[in-house]
Order: sequence, then C-alpha cells, then structure tokens
Amino acid sequence: MGFSRGIWILYKKEVKDYFLSPLVYILTGLYSLIIGWLFFNYLVASKDLTTANLSQSILIPLFGNMNFIFLFLAPLLTMKVFAEEKKLGTLNLLLRSGLTDWQIIFGKYFATFTVTVFMISMTFLFPIILGFSGYHDWGLVISCYLGLFFCLLSYLAVGMFVSSITSNQIIAAILSFSILLGFMLMVFSVNATHLSLVRDLFQYLSVPFHFEGFVRGAIKNFNILYFFCFSGMFLYMTRKSLESRYW
Amino acid sequence: MKVIELKNIVKTYPGVEALKGISFAVEKGSIHGFLGPNGAGKTTSMSIIAGLSSPTSGQVFINGKELGREKSPIGFLPETPPLYEQMKVFDYLKFVAEINNVARSELSCRVLEIGKKCGLTKVMQRLIGNLSKGYRQRVGIAQALVFDPEIVILDEPTVGLDPNSIMEIRELITSLKKDHTIMFSTHQLHEANLICSHITIINHGIILQSGPIGEIGKSLKNRQVIRAVVRDWQIIEPAMVLSEIKDLFPCDNVEIKKLDGQTELKFIAETDDDLRPSVSAYLLQKNCGLLSFTEEGMDLEEIFKRVAGQ
Ligand SMILES: Nc1ncnc2c1ncn2[C@@H]1O[C@H](COP(=O)(O)OP(=O)(O)O)[C@@H](O)[C@H]1O
Ligand SMILES: [Mg+2]
Repeated sequence: MGFSRGIWILYKKEVKDYFLSPLVYILTGLYSLIIGWLFFNYLVASKDLTTANLSQSILIPLFGNMNFIFLFLAPLLTMKVFAEEKKLGTLNLLLRSGLTDWQIIFGKYFATFTVTVFMISMTFLFPIILGFSGYHDWGLVISCYLGLFFCLLSYLAVGMFVSSITSNQIIAAILSFSILLGFMLMVFSVNATHLSLVRDLFQYLSVPFHFEGFVRGAIKNFNILYFFCFSGMFLYMTRKSLESRYW
Repeated sequence: MKVIELKNIVKTYPGVEALKGISFAVEKGSIHGFLGPNGAGKTTSMSIIAGLSSPTSGQVFINGKELGREKSPIGFLPETPPLYEQMKVFDYLKFVAEINNVARSELSCRVLEIGKKCGLTKVMQRLIGNLSKGYRQRVGIAQALVFDPEIVILDEPTVGLDPNSIMEIRELITSLKKDHTIMFSTHQLHEANLICSHITIINHGIILQSGPIGEIGKSLKNRQVIRAVVRDWQIIEPAMVLSEIKDLFPCDNVEIKKLDGQTELKFIAETDDDLRPSVSAYLLQKNCGLLSFTEEGMDLEEIFKRVAGQ
C-alpha cells in the first residue's frame, strides 16, 4: 500500500463520518450565520466603495473574525479525532493495521481540514458580492484565504495532538481551546514587557502576528515557515503520543 | 511447529503484577484455549501477543521471529469488538480489509466470502450500531479474519451472548481450524473442552498447565476415582469403610450413596498407582454383589478445580 493510498483510504472514511454527523452542519450553519451577519454590517457601514476602502473596512476585519471564531470551533471538530476512537477501542484497529502512524495522522488531518473548508465555503460568496461593487484586489483575497487556511491547519494540529493524549472528548476540547487561546494571547503580553528580545519572541510565537501578514497582503517567508513549524511540531507530538502505546 | 511462543513474559501495571513470568507455546493448526478465571491475565497476555502493549520483560516469538515494533500479521478480536457504529457492515469490513493491505481487486469478494462464513450475509447493508450483540460479535470475528491472517486471537468471543449465538460462534471457530491457528480465551472450562485441541490454564498471572488437552488430563491422573455399584451393602459410615481398607490400599476418601436397592461407592485416592485390582479384590472379599465397576475420568471442570487449588 502506497503512502498516499493509505492516507486516502482513511481520509475517505473520516470525511464520510464527519458529514454523517449533525455536528458539522450545526457548526457550519452557526458559522455562516455569524460571518454573514458581520459581513452585512460591515457592508452597510462602509460608505466609500473604493477598493482600498473596502479592503480596510470590510475584508480585513472580516477575516480577523473568520479566524477568531475557529478558535472555538476547531477544538469541537478535533476533540473526537483520537479520543473517541480510544474510548471505543477502534484506535487499536488502525494502529495494528497496515497503516503507519503518519498515514493515520495525515488521513485524519486532511479530513478535518476538508470539513473546515466546507464550513467557510459560504464565505467565498463575499468577495464575489464585493466584486459587483467594483472591488478588484483579488491578490489580497487570496492572501487572506491562504492565511486563514494556514491558521486552520495550525488549530487542527493542536486539536489532534490534544485528542491523542486523552480519551475524554470534553477535556480534549477544553484543553485545545486553552492552548490556542494561549498562542492568541501571547500577542497581548507583548506590551507587558520592555525587553525587546522577549517581546520579539512572544510576538513571533503568537499566531495572530503571522496571520496579520497575510491579511495585510504582505506575506513573508517566515510567516509561512512559522505555520509549517507550528503544525509540524504538533503533528510530530501526536505521533509521539500514538507511539506511547509501547511504553 | 510453534506459531506463537512466549518466554518468561512479565507484565506489571502500577501496583499489580498481572503476568508473573509466563511461558507457553501455540502449535500451528491448533485451536488453543486460554483458560482462566476473571483477572487471571488472559487479556493482558493476548494484547501483548497482538502487539498492543509491550511486556515489562520477556520475549514473544511469532513464527520464530521475535515480536518487535513492526506490526504482527495476527487477526485480533479484543474483549470489546472494535466497531464503527455509524458504518454499514459491508463498508466496515471492506475498510478493515483495505487498511490491512488486501488487494483492491479482491476486496469485495473477500468481504462477501468472510461475511458468509460468519453468517453476516443478511445484515451486510445494516448499520453496525443497530445490530444485536450476537451479530456485533460476529462482525468482530469477521474483522479479525477479513485479511486472512494465519493466526487469529479471540478474547472471550462468546462472553455475554445468548445460547444460540454461543453455539454458532463455537461452530464458526471450529470451522476456522482448517485455515488458521486459533487462540481464544474463555473462563468456561466446558467451552474449552468442547472445541480446543490444546489448552493453557492461567491463574493469578501464572501458567498452571499447558499442552494438548488429552495430556493435561493425563498429567493429573494422580488422582483416581473408582466408582462401584453393589447390591448388598450394610455399612453407611464412610469412616468405617476407610478404617477397613486402611491396611489394604491407600485411599483418601470414600463416598457412599444409596440408590434404590443399590449402593454406589466412590473410592478417591491421590496416587499414581492403579487401585483397580485392590479395590475389586476388596469388594469381592466383601461378597457384596458387585454390579458395576468403573474408573471415572476427570473432566475439565475437575481439572480446573484441582489445578487452581494446587
Ligand atoms: N490497564 C491496567 N492497569 C492496571 N491493572 C490492570 C490493567 N489491565 C489489567 N490489569 C490487572 O491485571 C490483571 C489481569 O487482568 P486481565 O488480563 O484483564 O485478566 P483477564 O482477561 O484474565 O480477566 C487484573 O488483576 C487486572 O486488574
Ligand atoms: Mg479479559
């Protein structure tokens, strides 16, 4: 069995499971409702319909919120990933199978990511609506979405790791939310210190700092590197946690 | 040939020594019963063999190769079957076959074949979550067989099922003997007696006996039970009989039971010598009208009581 084939087999099953449960539809509905309402309000509030103005008054705050809400939603999506399977004893079925630990992790990772993309799919309408009023900075739109995707991948990696260390879904959700909040709040603690080194470090470690680069349309290499390292580290820790069954 | 061999396996959980250095082997092509009361260490041993947990010390060999971190080609049914409730039986079995490297072209036909073998044909398109306990257990067994492993390990496959399902699952296990080596655990001696060719008896993390079922019975033959039915018998006190025969042959216990007009006598002795000549000589000398005279073989129930008591 090839590496990607193994991922694909598990991915298919996981995606199917997600879409069979009402949770995804409830969360998607809730998410679309909140974001749609925000979009409508920003739209009504903005008077000048110039491209620069629309980016400033609608797109940037909207994406900030789209990202922020996932701080709460991502833990709800990932809480069951390993915790539930542990509880039911099905995790051993996967671990004993021909799948490697990485195939299991990526299969589940991509499946949850697919669900989050489904959840934000309604928002693809917004740039189109803006387009009707003459908006044309598509580069920024793409950059914003890219940033959002990177953030989502980071949140999901954290959630998967936490889910792999417990068999209690509630604990998994609360713990991953706390960790995500911690990374989010780091950016605020930046002001609490005068040491520039510590400040820079905190700033660099916090997720919003890097997301900002995307939203301003100024993507730097280190922003992308940060997200890769962040997700990579938590996926690696997930693998370690799966391995710990041998201890 | 030994397909599974355990050498001096110790497993300690915090505060509990679940396995205290157990060693035994499972022969190729056998149905190996793993027998012991609850908490004896059956599940612990089986999950070590299945590669789900590692022993604190000791070695496991599968087909002569030491079990390491690589995955072992063993079909395994844990105590609670690992089922995805929201999947249909067919999809579930297909998924298990797929992740266990069954070729894509063979998938469907393999699943149907195993389904038939395990009596699941009727429920193939039903959700697992809606099945009865007996069917779920069968799906659990099918899951362990679907990628055609040489060795199949079943942890208490009949526990908690209704009598009909139990019978059917026992038949199923017996029918697997042709193609697989099977090890299954049970706390029912009667069950092991019915379907096993070999047994290993475990209690408190120690192996009490292991080997072919016949030999285990024989190795415990040092206890003889001789049953005689006689017509005329006056003595009803076992102690009096015992004192009479004290000098004739060694005997630990005598049981006397009055049956309508006849008397049943049981002579029980802990000895390797054959007592039959002595007992029959004694009875003849009493001139009591001997009607029948047999040596009772011990069944597993008795073996277990004795072994556990040792
Ligand atoms: N995860 C565990 N943590 C601590 N003790 C355990 C654990 N699993 C089993 N035990 C203990 O190990 C012993 C053997 O248990 P087990 O192998 O489940 O027995 P059996 O399957 O024969 O009923 C028991 O005393 C049990 O309490
Ligand atoms: Mg058990």
